[in-house]
Amino acid sequence: MNRRKLLSLLGATPALLAGTKLEAATRKTGATASSSEKIEALNPNGTPPPITLIPMAPRLKTLDGKTIYLVSDGFPGADHFLNQIAIWFQKHMPSVKTVYRLKAGALPDDDPKLWAEIKAKGNAVIMAIGH
Amino acid sequence: MGIPTAPIVTIAFKDLAYSNAAQRGMPHERICFTPHPVWGKSDAEMYAYLEGNDPVTHKPLMPEIISALTKPLTPEEEKSGTVTPPVGPEVFSDTPDNLQNYYMNNGMTDFMPIILPTREKVEAMLKGTSHAPDEPVGKMCPAKGSYPEWSYNVRNIAVNAVMAGCDPSYFPIVLAIAASELPSLSSSTNSFATAAIINGPIRDKLNMNYGIGAMGPFAQPNATIGRAWTLLSKNCGNCGQPGQTYMGTFGNTCNYNNLIIPENEKDSPWEPFHVQKGFKKDENVVSVFFGMDIRQGQNGPGLGLKPVPHYQEAFAFNFGTCAPLFGGLIVCDPLVANGLVELGFKTKEPLLEWVWKNATISVKDAKTTLFGLRFSGPEAANLPDDARIPIFRNASYLNIVVVGGETNPYHMVANMSYRGSISIDKWA
Repeated sequence: MNRRKLLSLLGATPALLAGTKLEAATRKTGATASSSEKIEALNPNGTPPPITLIPMAPRLKTLDGKTIYLVSDGFPGADHFLNQIAIWFQKHMPSVKTVYRLKAGALPDDDPKLWAEIKAKGNAVIMAIGH
Repeated sequence: MGIPTAPIVTIAFKDLAYSNAAQRGMPHERICFTPHPVWGKSDAEMYAYLEGNDPVTHKPLMPEIISALTKPLTPEEEKSGTVTPPVGPEVFSDTPDNLQNYYMNNGMTDFMPIILPTREKVEAMLKGTSHAPDEPVGKMCPAKGSYPEWSYNVRNIAVNAVMAGCDPSYFPIVLAIAASELPSLSSSTNSFATAAIINGPIRDKLNMNYGIGAMGPFAQPNATIGRAWTLLSKNCGNCGQPGQTYMGTFGNTCNYNNLIIPENEKDSPWEPFHVQKGFKKDENVVSVFFGMDIRQGQNGPGLGLKPVPHYQEAFAFNFGTCAPLFGGLIVCDPLVANGLVELGFKTKEPLLEWVWKNATISVKDAKTTLFGLRFSGPEAANLPDDARIPIFRNASYLNIVVVGGETNPYHMVANMSYRGSISIDKWA
């Protein structure tokens, strides 16, 4: 699925974008109805929450001399992967300082203590990764 | 936080990452991708990922990460405000065959034919409860904390119960399951499964099968209540969209109608499961579980002993490969339960304590499992490698339920955690 379609979905299932009355159910399958009589059936979907758009943080002009926090979400291998990123910066952009941190808690948990540390001491974050 | 961030995700999670970012309010988040997987790769292989291309953009990965942190924002990326996702029409109108195809092709079914939820059928289903159609029932998402939660009311659940083939008399059980807010389809790569134990007089009133073949396709309430759980998870909880909200690498056949377990209270020597959880015997209750799987336990040690097999030894043995991420659920035939009483386990508690202590793993093996010693307590790390420690966190993570038709003294074990009990009567 391309990104444009996903963005247009904004969390909705394809059925939610069906528009008003369904008239073109055979679009995908080309199925032929055995009965030409139309009936009405109810939408089984629940209600997604409204989405509050969050403006992205301003970008840096350059990474030179900046501190980048490398944050693991806790998935296996993320620590090793982020260590390789640290090595890459040492080799290619030695003025960049990297700091590794493991986000506290289970995978979806917030870690306000870490975010406060990054806000106080860091300039950017690289976060990884899913498996 | 106000700090520029570049998330990196493996390519297998592309759709999930994009859709989740959009649902959380950053539809243009600058996500960078690596090949998949990272887990299990050597340092050299990981470094090669960094020197290679992003598999989505086909551009060099590290310059892309740097660009994600330094390229000025576009007006779209700076946007604020609120977006209301479309909820679609209340009603679909077409011929019955076309409607079947429509529901199926738009991710609203389990890919088996459904009962079309006409107004008449939904109205009849709503008569199965005293609650108003617009009354909120709960919120659900594919993994709590990882996705925005969808909300649903009594009518939404009635539509799904009709689709699953439920009789209106089953509706309070379906509502109680929905009120648990536990999805039957988790987004995890693990292909998780769910179970529901049903207790109380409603089992007989609905002719639920708790005898021969109780967990098989042999009774309408057992089959359709569980199916409704999966359909409502898909449609009311935004679950089960492969690639976006479902990532189970194998899938799980249990997800078709889940593990519905009406307890065989009549033939069990122990107090019913819901009584253990604080309910009265004549109350109707559903208790939900979540975890890995269920497996037959006929191969455990102790089962060949006479005159009474030592079933508890087989329970402990069969839990041997379970993950400590979850607890354990023993499903046993009444013949097993009564045999355990003969062995001295007059109640469930001492039995579960024994099983917890004897379902063990060596410290050496525990250290190299996926979760290591994370759930074993701090003292475990100081034990010698050949010491044995319990697999599960404590005995409260173990449960047992009695079901089956006494055709043989068999049992099964599920690597599942108890997630709560909900009154069915409250939803009648």
